[in-house]
Amino acid sequence: MTAADPGSFRDPASRVLIDADRVIRVLDQRGLNAWKALADSRFFANAVADGHLIAATDLADPPEGGAGALEHPRVPLITYPYEWTFSMLKDAALLQLDLLAKALDDGLTIKDATPFNIQFVEGRPLFIDIGSFEPYRDGEPWIGYRQFTRQFLFPLMMRAWLDVPFQPWLRGDMEGPTASHMRSLLPRSKRSKPSVLGHVGLQARMEERLAGESVRDDLQQAGFNAAIILTNVEKLQGLISSLTWEPRTDGWAAYESCTHVGRDRETKAGFLRHAMSRQRPERVLDLGANDAYFSEIASDGGAYAIAVDSDEPILERVYKQSVGKSLSIVLSELGNPSPAQGWSGVERPSLFARADANLVIAYGLIHHLIYTASIPPALVVEWLRRFDCPVVVEFVAPDDEMVKTLTSNKHEDELHPGRDEGAFRNLLAASFNIVSERNLGSGSRVLFELVPV
Amino acid sequence: MIFGYLDPGSGSLILQALLGGIAGIGVAYKAWKHKRMTKRLVKDGADPDASVDDSPVTAES
Repeated sequence: MTAADPGSFRDPASRVLIDADRVIRVLDQRGLNAWKALADSRFFANAVADGHLIAATDLADPPEGGAGALEHPRVPLITYPYEWTFSMLKDAALLQLDLLAKALDDGLTIKDATPFNIQFVEGRPLFIDIGSFEPYRDGEPWIGYRQFTRQFLFPLMMRAWLDVPFQPWLRGDMEGPTASHMRSLLPRSKRSKPSVLGHVGLQARMEERLAGESVRDDLQQAGFNAAIILTNVEKLQGLISSLTWEPRTDGWAAYESCTHVGRDRETKAGFLRHAMSRQRPERVLDLGANDAYFSEIASDGGAYAIAVDSDEPILERVYKQSVGKSLSIVLSELGNPSPAQGWSGVERPSLFARADANLVIAYGLIHHLIYTASIPPALVVEWLRRFDCPVVVEFVAPDDEMVKTLTSNKHEDELHPGRDEGAFRNLLAASFNIVSERNLGSGSRVLFELVPV
Repeated sequence: MIFGYLDPGSGSLILQALLGGIAGIGVAYKAWKHKRMTKRLVKDGADPDASVDDSPVTAES
């Protein structure tokens, strides 16, 4: 059944349909003309060959009354900028600028500048919106400049210079912070840097002063040209490249030093490999993936792995080592995963509407949900059941050393009942069959391989 | 002229000329002048484009 992509409706020239595993882009006459110009360019062939731009093939019979249609390869997992780490957004920003510069050199431009047009495939950013390209018209400014600053530049500045995570802001306001917001946030020492003065202070002031004024014709009359855009793009490339973020705490190192991690890791890996040999999943969702060690085992076993964790420093390391791997990285707090949002509440589907899987890994996770996020054990099991696929889960008993740490400032009557192994088995029995189980060396942890009842 | 579906922001459009090097500053100045003159002539009921110097500023200028 063909369905409209709920996030593809803003551009009247181009919209995306999903037909089972096929991704089809329907073009109106303007979109078709733009596609022909792009397809005939050296830029397009080079960008696709370099793995920077998604491939596209013409379809003979455009559906739904389109003037033309294209088919794209399917991206393994759609993720959103509020699920990316700092380096992912930075790499996406540099790709956006690089493609714009190369397109302009070939007489084309990109009419918007949003990270929602970029996805990560095998650890590299890939521009997926062919409909964003169109021939450059003499005198036209870069229409996407303001959007670029709000959705790429300012979020990166927030993390690099203020050590404030940009993801909650982008999740709350997908348009991103305005220049006026950034003027309020940044200290004067940063705002007055020559490379920043224009993008933040001056933009905020000019946006206030010229709100609602028509200026495109004035710029055209004054002789605006592509060389001016290229100069701005080159400066932005330098500014973005200079932005770095060094996490204050290295979650990776802290995690690896935990006693239970080293002690149990290979046992858990072996248990997962056995489960994979039985379940033969095509896609594995690793919840609370941490350093993605088990995601990589799933990936090495032939599955596509989706590693979800809330620890940005760790996922930064995972991202930088993910090139060429069948692995997607998602930064999300599992106690509050990305919701469905945007226009009509469906434009950007929730994380778990996108991250479907044939096997779920929940190692070292549920005790954090139960003891830290205060989710009742019954709701945790119900949640695992809703994935409607086999689950490999690690049960952690109340007397486990990590649980003692998590509950060090909580009284017994402040915790949900039913946290011991017997109660957990009763909960499992209502929703799953236990295919296999294994006690870990600590005596306080048990691995279960579950299939839905 | 074909307009995009994205609101580019009027101030941001003029700004990017200012950020586009010496040639861009010249364009921004001319665009600003054009804007002000157009407004004045429209207010006076005259044809704005007939009175404005619209020779383009090139990247080399």
